[in-house]
Amino acid sequence: MNNFKGNILIVDDEKGLRLGTKRLLEEEGYNVTAAENGTEGLQFGTITDFDVAVIDLKMPDIDGLEVLKEIKSIHPNTVCFIATAFASYETAIQATRIGAFGYIPKPFSPEELIYQVEQGLKQRKLILDAHRLELEREKNLLELANEKSRLNAIIKSISEGIIIINTNGDLAYYNYAAIKLLNINNIQIGEKILDKLPVHVTDIVNKIFQSDKIMLKSYTTEFSLHADNELFLEAACTPIPNPDGSLAGVVIILSNITGYKRIEIIKNQFVSMVAHELKTPLAAVQGFLNIIMDQSIKLSPEKQHDYIQRSTIRLKSLTDLVNDLLDISRFEMKTKEREIFEVHLEEIICSTIQMLELELNKKGITVEKNIEINLPFIKADINEITRMVTNLLSNAIKYNKDKGKIFIDISSSKNYVELKVRDTGIGLKPDEKQKLFSEFYRAKNDMTRGISGTGLGLSIVKRIVDSYFGLIEVESEYGVGTTFLIKLPINPN
Amino acid sequence: MALIAIIDDDPDILDASSLVLKSKGYDVITANNPNDGYKIVKGKKPDLIILDVMMDEPDDGFYLAQKFRKEGITIPILMYTSVSKAIGLDFGKSEMVPVDDFVEKPISPEELVNKVESLLKVKEVK
Repeated sequence: MNNFKGNILIVDDEKGLRLGTKRLLEEEGYNVTAAENGTEGLQFGTITDFDVAVIDLKMPDIDGLEVLKEIKSIHPNTVCFIATAFASYETAIQATRIGAFGYIPKPFSPEELIYQVEQGLKQRKLILDAHRLELEREKNLLELANEKSRLNAIIKSISEGIIIINTNGDLAYYNYAAIKLLNINNIQIGEKILDKLPVHVTDIVNKIFQSDKIMLKSYTTEFSLHADNELFLEAACTPIPNPDGSLAGVVIILSNITGYKRIEIIKNQFVSMVAHELKTPLAAVQGFLNIIMDQSIKLSPEKQHDYIQRSTIRLKSLTDLVNDLLDISRFEMKTKEREIFEVHLEEIICSTIQMLELELNKKGITVEKNIEINLPFIKADINEITRMVTNLLSNAIKYNKDKGKIFIDISSSKNYVELKVRDTGIGLKPDEKQKLFSEFYRAKNDMTRGISGTGLGLSIVKRIVDSYFGLIEVESEYGVGTTFLIKLPINPN
Repeated sequence: MALIAIIDDDPDILDASSLVLKSKGYDVITANNPNDGYKIVKGKKPDLIILDVMMDEPDDGFYLAQKFRKEGITIPILMYTSVSKAIGLDFGKSEMVPVDDFVEKPISPEELVNKVESLLKVKEVK
């Protein structure tokens, strides 16, 4: 931007007048371009969008009106004056008709010229403002239209159902998710809708309609539309106020909460199972203590000692259970940072066998190892892999026959280390195999009675294997034995 | 003296309950699973059955009780329960649960003996 009051074009073939006018206007603070004939005026005027142009009517080459017309066709917002010594009514009309703003009769006084130019500039400003406002208005309208359609697209595409009802109970708005979730067809804007909504929702909406004061909060309800509970919905109903505070309607947001409900059911089942598993050993111990303390029951010292010993065993199993639960919780919540180092599976197998030697000897079980030479390291947390191996081997002992065998095979492929643990134990029935990795599942049959366990060992093994993106499979024949096959990536990342 | 059958999968509970009842002079037979429990009841015809609600399956105690009733066995059944009430599985005597009374684990010897005595008395009156 420059500091000139305006850009002025002077077109006049009369040199004295042209230069005089130029100097006069320049002294007034205008930026003045002077053209010495029609051709030059036309050229300048069509290249630059001047604020004001003062054009002589009679010029030897091109007529002033012709120059005016051309300039106006390119820059309609340039305010043009026709200056002439031959002022006549007809030319004045003709000039204004083709777009001249004013008519300056020659000769003119400096004041007269300055006055006219100032008027022209004011006009120019008005025109530009109007033009700018027009553009802004168009832009706003366009934005508004865009915004509206964008909002519409958003509302229509979200998975929550939306229904808006006015105080007459008429449907004011809805999206596709709403009719899909509620499974209602053939509804139209403007129709009475309350009867078609689930009764849980209608109750809330009616309560909002009937209350004297609008509380700007959501009222939610959960319900199931199907008898078999396969779809759980949550409806949040919120009053919409008018600007004056009165009630305009109610917006209902419907969400599919089936997934959350399912998790809730699983969680409750898990809590029930944990409660049962925790209470069983406690009840046994408490039962023994009740007998020992009961004055009316005569107990031999041997029996008393036996009960205390058995109580100790039950408490030990309770401690194991709590430790297993803590392990699972640690896995679920990922509270413990993993320490990933190079781990050698053979070393872990050997140290675990050593640790379990007492149990192995008790049942007279022998272990046969077949381990690949130059077995690669795997990148893992040694505590987790030890836990996995311990659980597998202690199962292979617990569910084995007396004087049975355990075969351990470790081999490797390009990306995986493969561990196979086979026992000659009681094996699994096909339906037992399916539930094997779920929490608290313990195969219960004549052969497993008397074998203690938390029911969490294999579920922990699976969690560990899964967390390394590994693979666990089980093959088993009832009464013959069970084989666990585990593939762990050499580098899980 | 009356013969009592105890059916529970927990050997410690079986042992403790037997000892309590034996100390009061009752004769006791036991089974640690529903199948054996059915067999001893059919074979030995006890005067009272003590039955755990949850053995191999969470509700196989119920089924065994229903089976006894269906087969016309009317002797009193005392049911051992554990966490069922605490987790909202509150049940009482009904057609689905055809038992005469409940004892909540852990078992108090006094409560057990009292309930056994009163059930046997009712049986005598009948």
